[in-house]
Amino acid sequence: MTQSMTGQSSSSVEKTAPPPGSNAMVSLRGVSKTYANGSKALVNVNLEVRRGEFLFITGPSGSGKSTLLKLLYGEERADEGEVIVDGNHLSELKGNRLSQLRRRIGVVFQDYKLIPRRTVMENVAFVLWAQGFARKEIHRRLQPALKMVGLSHKANCFPDQLSGGEQQRVSIARAIVGTPPLLLADEPTGNLDADNSWQVIKILKKLNTVGITVIVTTHDESLIRLSNHPAMQLRNGVLYRPIAQR
Amino acid sequence: MFQFLTKLDYLLRETLLGLRRGGWMNWAAVSTVTVLLFLFGVSLQASWHLEGLLNRFGSQLEVSAYLDTGVQAADLKSVVAAMPEVAEVRAISKEEAWANLIKDLGMSDINGATKQLEGNPLVDELKVKAKSSEGVPALAQKLEQMQGVDEVQYVDEAVKRVAQLNRGLSWISLTVITLLTLTAIAVITTTIRLIVMARHREIEVMQLVGATTSWIYLPFILQGVVFGLAGAVISWGLIAGIQHFLTNLLTQQPEFVQFLANGLQLSPLRTILLPLVLLGFGSSVGVMGSLFAVRRMALR
Repeated sequence: MTQSMTGQSSSSVEKTAPPPGSNAMVSLRGVSKTYANGSKALVNVNLEVRRGEFLFITGPSGSGKSTLLKLLYGEERADEGEVIVDGNHLSELKGNRLSQLRRRIGVVFQDYKLIPRRTVMENVAFVLWAQGFARKEIHRRLQPALKMVGLSHKANCFPDQLSGGEQQRVSIARAIVGTPPLLLADEPTGNLDADNSWQVIKILKKLNTVGITVIVTTHDESLIRLSNHPAMQLRNGVLYRPIAQR
Repeated sequence: MFQFLTKLDYLLRETLLGLRRGGWMNWAAVSTVTVLLFLFGVSLQASWHLEGLLNRFGSQLEVSAYLDTGVQAADLKSVVAAMPEVAEVRAISKEEAWANLIKDLGMSDINGATKQLEGNPLVDELKVKAKSSEGVPALAQKLEQMQGVDEVQYVDEAVKRVAQLNRGLSWISLTVITLLTLTAIAVITTTIRLIVMARHREIEVMQLVGATTSWIYLPFILQGVVFGLAGAVISWGLIAGIQHFLTNLLTQQPEFVQFLANGLQLSPLRTILLPLVLLGFGSSVGVMGSLFAVRRMALR
């Protein structure tokens, strides 16, 4: 059923895809976003991320990094311009079609958003339950996902029994267990020390090598220098491209 | 089929989880529904019973003509049957009537009773059925004027009053049940909304990972249905228990009371209908309550 379900969802997604063969996973064209209180989060942002790329978006807090990611997974809507993810125009997606797209996007949050009363395993499996996977398929996918983030031995722990770094790794496992082609990480290292931060980045790099497109926001420029991936900078809602490497 | 099982697996798990999290709030919801359905069931049964009792007073179309002493019912039967407004005539001899009365009064020695009263005190009777209810008063008058007829009785004001009372009671119970229905829906709404709030983190994550709205909220709706069904089962148990108790009580009474109580016996159809109606009503109330609870969140 899993196969048929993912097949179904991708076919319905592809129906809305504009030119086939387009290699852009994410593209933003002239996107602006102003919040109800008048603060300008994004101003005329243009961005294209190709499939299989790894991109950092950096900038001080309040510069619009989170807003940018929220536009990509449909939590916020652009006031102006076009947001296209995997061939879907986000402004046209609502209800179940938006849900179908979200199944193809993994999201990692700074505050992990783990469910406190469920174990590590249940937190990860929860995503698959929510997406309608069968019990057997869920069991089949759990171990590889936990192994990927190095937490197989903590499968039965509750989130409050884990360190911050481990909790963040659980949330990465949760984001990738549905094998999405796009992974968004919003300040994944914001609450972590240098060692744990680097471990998280290493996991994200590993995921990138198997073909997942990764977009990471961070205000930690040392991480960017270490990881040797392109980075863009957001300042006051304006995107400046590529900042100096190394 | 397989997909259906997967859904069922998920729905049952999540519904049970919701019920476990609900704790004592579950009981608030279930007991309100129980009270509602209990009163509903009792009043429904009462109206069925009153209806049955009214039928026992005799059909609205029937006129009883009591004959003069010594006149044989069989003699008059053919004359009455020839009347244009008469549909059917049944003759009841005084012996037959006496035997029935003795039995109804719970006496066993018919000869002793007859001897005590120095003979059978009753008269022969004709049960005449009119073709239409409008024709009943005219027919009654015509029969009264016949030779050999002493007295005529038909469903009169008294019975009509009882019918009116029945209607009045129905209105009162309808009002009470409406109010209680609203209360039950409100309590279920509150209960489920509290559970939804307690799980808002999970719901947020579910939305972010692409769970559809119906997938997220169906377990809550099911939870409302469970409240309704549980209330229905408990209230039906209570009603059945009380009925059993009353029936036991009645069998110890003289046969005359039992005779009256026979009118209270429900037809087999209605015996099945009652739990079905309760289950249906209970689950609708549950669905309504839970729909109200998730509607606001789901519409966002």
